[in-house]
Amino acid sequence: MVRCAEGPPCRIFFSVIELHHLTKRYGDTLAVHDLSFSVAPGHVTGFLGPNGAGKSTTMRLILGLDAPTSGKALVNGRPYMSLARPMREVGALLDANAVHGGRSAYNHLLCLARTNDIGPRRVAQVLEQVGLAGVARKRVGGFSLGMKQRLGIAAALLGDPRVLMFDEPVNGLDPDGVRWIRDLMCSLAAEGRTVLLSSHLMSEMALTAERIVIVGRGRLIAEATVAELISRYHTLEDAYMALTAGSVQFGVSS
Amino acid sequence: MMRAVVASELLKLRSVTTTYRAIGVAALMVVLGAVWTFYVGTMADERGSIRAAAPEQGFLPLLQTSLALLGVLAITSELATGMVRTSLVVVPRRGVLFAAKAGVVGAVTFGGAVTILLTTYATSRLIAGDRLLGFNQSSLAADLPMLLASGLSVTVLALVGLGLGCATRSTAAGIVSVVSLLFVLPGIATYLPPPWNTRVASFMLPNLVPQIAGDQLSRRLGDGLLPPWAALATLIFYAAVTLGAAFYLFKRRDA
Repeated sequence: MVRCAEGPPCRIFFSVIELHHLTKRYGDTLAVHDLSFSVAPGHVTGFLGPNGAGKSTTMRLILGLDAPTSGKALVNGRPYMSLARPMREVGALLDANAVHGGRSAYNHLLCLARTNDIGPRRVAQVLEQVGLAGVARKRVGGFSLGMKQRLGIAAALLGDPRVLMFDEPVNGLDPDGVRWIRDLMCSLAAEGRTVLLSSHLMSEMALTAERIVIVGRGRLIAEATVAELISRYHTLEDAYMALTAGSVQFGVSS
Repeated sequence: MMRAVVASELLKLRSVTTTYRAIGVAALMVVLGAVWTFYVGTMADERGSIRAAAPEQGFLPLLQTSLALLGVLAITSELATGMVRTSLVVVPRRGVLFAAKAGVVGAVTFGGAVTILLTTYATSRLIAGDRLLGFNQSSLAADLPMLLASGLSVTVLALVGLGLGCATRSTAAGIVSVVSLLFVLPGIATYLPPPWNTRVASFMLPNLVPQIAGDQLSRRLGDGLLPPWAALATLIFYAAVTLGAAFYLFKRRDA
């Protein structure tokens, strides 16, 4: 497996998500401030930070949902907006609740698939993969958060993309689902894909991720491997607490 | 790209029950038109003849509001749930997504409206038979401009609803805006001092339909100011301006 931590040349060739001095300002609030880091394939990169640290905003900026105030985010060397069939390159789950409750799981996925010329057979496949085949014809409005997370993951997997981004996909899942996500993330990374995963569950992150990016108040706090952090701070949770001590702020949504 | 997104938008519309409810309410026009014709028909049987309003004109506001709701919901159902972000992740080109949405809403509402109008027209004439009801003496060819203008007005209202729903990001605000254009503003215009009532009313959305067909606005307001082509252009202008403004905001705003 290629590890990008080993040297700069492979960063150039394999970094598939790159942030260059990314800055986003909402009125007086600096949500993301001069953020630069890159995410490489072959392992899960954990994206950590307190609530309001700018994790979700960063993901929205990468996906072109929000326009950066300055700086740029590139996926496979290009701005996301310029991708012709983005689902085949990038899969993303930002908010599991961002679905129309009146639509069935199958139709929801088919609506998304159609835009990128992905057929109904693939929809059935991903529904099977995430364990929702039995409720495919049920309305999404009746789904639990855990089921919606699975649906969002199914949507991200539709185009069989090389790059995947998940914003707190573990929320609302039962222990069985948590383990399922962990195994899924690891197997996606083992297939050589790039996986960026945000979560507040430190123990879970320690089991899933190999590299960690920590942000606080929109700035980069640390970028290291899980092994490095654990050897220095004993556990990932201790590392997180120590590193984000000065960055916790309340009353700002992430 | 565009074709795939249009297919997706069409499926979005087809896969929620609100679409069928809105079309169902719109199709009530056929039933109401039949009941109305039957009712005025029995009156005509007693009196010999009667001057009744044509059902496809009298119940047009029902068709306009219910299908305009379809236009509002096409965008606000996504904006309210956050589904729009999911949509924009798979279709990052906002112009393509917006155009596909507007195209599908336009085509579906025009097709639906014309079908319902023609069915209402046909059933009411069939029920009327050879009774003299006032509205059933002209030929289909003579009534066709009015029917098509009515259908177009429904589409324009649906697109205006889409635009206003997009701009306000609220279902309620979108519906209130459509209702204002359809009922409130024309109502106010009617009570302006003459000749301003007729002048202003000529530009009101529902009054463009009779002007396109070359009819008078109403007995109270008389003939409108606009020749058919200008009325048609004004009708299209309503949709173009709201869609243009909505797209400007949709493209610029963070999703």
